[in-house]
Amino acid sequence: MDKQQRIKDWQEKTEQSMNRFPERKERFHTSSDIEIERLYGPEEERYQMDTLGLPGEYPFTRGSQSTMYRSKFWTMRQYAGFGSAEETNKRFRYLLDQGQTGLSVAFDLPTQIGYDSDHLMARGEVGKVGVAIDSIEDMEALLKDIPLDKVSTSMTINAPASVLLAMYIAVAEKQGVSSDKLSGTIQNDILKEYIARGTYIFPPKPSMRLITDIFGYCQENVPKWNTISISGYHIREAGSNAAQELAFTIANGLAYVDAAIDAGLNIDDFAPRLAFFFNAHNQFFEEVAKFRAARRMWAKLMKEQYGAKNPKSWQLRFHTQTGGSTLTAQQPDNNIVRVTTQALSAVLGGTQSLHTNSRDEALALPTEDSARIALRTQQILAHETGVADTVDPLAGSYYVEHLTDELERKANEYIDKIKQMGGAVSAVEQGYMQREIHHTSYETQKKIENGQEIIVGMNKFTIENEPQPELLRVDPALGEKQKEKLQKLKAKRDQNRVSAQLEMLRSAAKGKDNLMPIIVECVKSYCTIGEICGVLREEFGEYTGA
Amino acid sequence: MTKTIRVLIAKPGLDGHDRGALVISQALRDYGMEVIYTGLRQTPEQIAAAAVQEDVDAIGLSCLSGAHNELFPEVMRLLHEKGADDIIVVGGGVIPWEDIPFLESKGIQKVFTPGTPTIETAKFIEQAVFERDGITEKAAAVAPERIDHIGIAVQSLDETLPFYVNVLGLTLEAVEEVPSQKVKVAFIKIGETRLELLEPLSPDSPVAQFIEKRGQGVHHVALGVTNIQERIHDMKANGLKMIHDTAVPGAGGASVAFIHPSSTHKVLFELCEKTKNKEEAQ
Repeated sequence: MDKQQRIKDWQEKTEQSMNRFPERKERFHTSSDIEIERLYGPEEERYQMDTLGLPGEYPFTRGSQSTMYRSKFWTMRQYAGFGSAEETNKRFRYLLDQGQTGLSVAFDLPTQIGYDSDHLMARGEVGKVGVAIDSIEDMEALLKDIPLDKVSTSMTINAPASVLLAMYIAVAEKQGVSSDKLSGTIQNDILKEYIARGTYIFPPKPSMRLITDIFGYCQENVPKWNTISISGYHIREAGSNAAQELAFTIANGLAYVDAAIDAGLNIDDFAPRLAFFFNAHNQFFEEVAKFRAARRMWAKLMKEQYGAKNPKSWQLRFHTQTGGSTLTAQQPDNNIVRVTTQALSAVLGGTQSLHTNSRDEALALPTEDSARIALRTQQILAHETGVADTVDPLAGSYYVEHLTDELERKANEYIDKIKQMGGAVSAVEQGYMQREIHHTSYETQKKIENGQEIIVGMNKFTIENEPQPELLRVDPALGEKQKEKLQKLKAKRDQNRVSAQLEMLRSAAKGKDNLMPIIVECVKSYCTIGEICGVLREEFGEYTGA
Repeated sequence: MTKTIRVLIAKPGLDGHDRGALVISQALRDYGMEVIYTGLRQTPEQIAAAAVQEDVDAIGLSCLSGAHNELFPEVMRLLHEKGADDIIVVGGGVIPWEDIPFLESKGIQKVFTPGTPTIETAKFIEQAVFERDGITEKAAAVAPERIDHIGIAVQSLDETLPFYVNVLGLTLEAVEEVPSQKVKVAFIKIGETRLELLEPLSPDSPVAQFIEKRGQGVHHVALGVTNIQERIHDMKANGLKMIHDTAVPGAGGASVAFIHPSSTHKVLFELCEKTKNKEEAQ
């Protein structure tokens, strides 16, 4: 098709879709009243239709929707959670009152690793990096008075993702909201846990089964749920560079697609529910290019290599969080500036949702003041700067397009290498990604220490005798309170029903049936996360490192 | 080092963030220590047992999850129980400043917070172990290897260069501007070393201030070193005052740091490291 014609067709199609997705304003303009068009691009011959396409069209380099933030800003989704379910519920309601548009739950480490709060391994960790959830009782307290049919919820949970999703479904049912109305995301990305984040439980094979069971279950029962959030975020935090983040994330994504196909699922049934999660780091233009390259790479892979037919299967949608490891403990207010430029790169890269870090995260959990500034940063970008008023504004920049091409090329080299190793699962088992990341992270550290890389306020422009900021503290008695709550629950529940459900889970784990429906029944019977994961630990074994 | 120090790097608790633990393990190895890394999710019992079994001199505990106040003292208690009180224990991670006195009161010798150079941790462990073992002879100081150059402050390169080139017959090697010092420099080769003529580019350049106070003339002596960051550390450990605590970019792609003349009997010395990359690039 002729290029001009294609652009014209796109314009018409977009105008039509605006009945359903109207733009925020009738007219967009700059401070000097220059009209801002929906889209800019050289209309002449050199427009790279093949590699750039148009927004909302294959290969999605320019964005996953045609009007992007002219219709609706990205979802402002601040990751929060600490202490008890009741305290976290309060913070959630505070954030919603402050204009946040989606929830994001942080769980404490015992929950993430499938231990109850009274387990020996949970010592000192209960309620520390997130909220402690032992049973559906805690989940009810966490979600109290939050309308689950209206708010979308993202849960950073991986190895026991099935259990937390089951609790969420069961609580919604108690609220009178059926599972087909629920929207949200579970992280459910075990491969990057082995690579970078460390909250694995089971070995790779049964872990992959749990994941594809969730794909299958949600397709039928929770169709609006994002069943996985394939995460580069933690790979970057562990010290990788942008190309490695991109490559390893996409390689992991392909492993999930392969596993689902092997489990008998049809690609166009599950691929539209796959979501991604990237880091927004310091190198501004490279980050913008990374997001654009990611969309293009995934689209090409899904369409050309995997033969997906549904355009929604080709679309890479992603959440972004600013880079926690870029924050300094020294002069923490400087972190607000870092977060701002990182957030801007995510917006210019076309993110679907965004978490901005708080200035004090290198010191402790964020205080309420710090969390508010972080959210305000996004609101200022959205409402004051005008950067959201046109689609993909950096397209056509010689530099950004070059970076986009180069990142794609470098990432593809890694992906080819991983393919030769037998795919991401086997590369992880051989420790390949882990070694590559460690190598990059050590080189970075050396550059910082010999002054080749400047970190403002840390190895240059330092001050002596810094004032010590106010920090948030989690109630140290929380661990004991949570244990008491658990004891009470165990005393009052129907123990026979609990045992029966757990035995059903055990026999299902030995077989091939989808485990999700049984896990939903387990949580409704007040089985705890430690009991459910305990049975699965006995059946599946535990992973102990590459 | 006169003794090979053995260190156990351990991750107590459930925290999976081991970037810092892996980096410090490698940095201590590069420094010449033997390092054992436990891997993730170690209980205090496992850590104390491993430390005794491996007969280590020191333990580095890394925790980013906030569980340090419970887990670090528990490790100390267990070491005491096993009669292994003499093991030097340090900690690192996301540890709020207000927790540090408590941890130190439980016997943690030092807590290194984010942004600490790894060399600082290495030196601390080394010194603590040597003190414990009564090893007094310090690792021999690494002497500077050569005079890299002699810096001479001049009002104007154009006026001065003819003397060096035409009268003395030396070779002008390069002229470049060093923005960090606000000077233009000319390198003149003389045997294995160089003269560095420095012309100030602005009245607030340190060289302009030098000329104003003391007139033109010999400005500094540059000592060629390797591992400049370690040398800076050595200087500071010996009580010298540094003008630069970390190396800054100097002329010719070098990393440089000046020692304050108040520490050196009034001679301005520069530490100067020519980076490997630069040589490879050339």
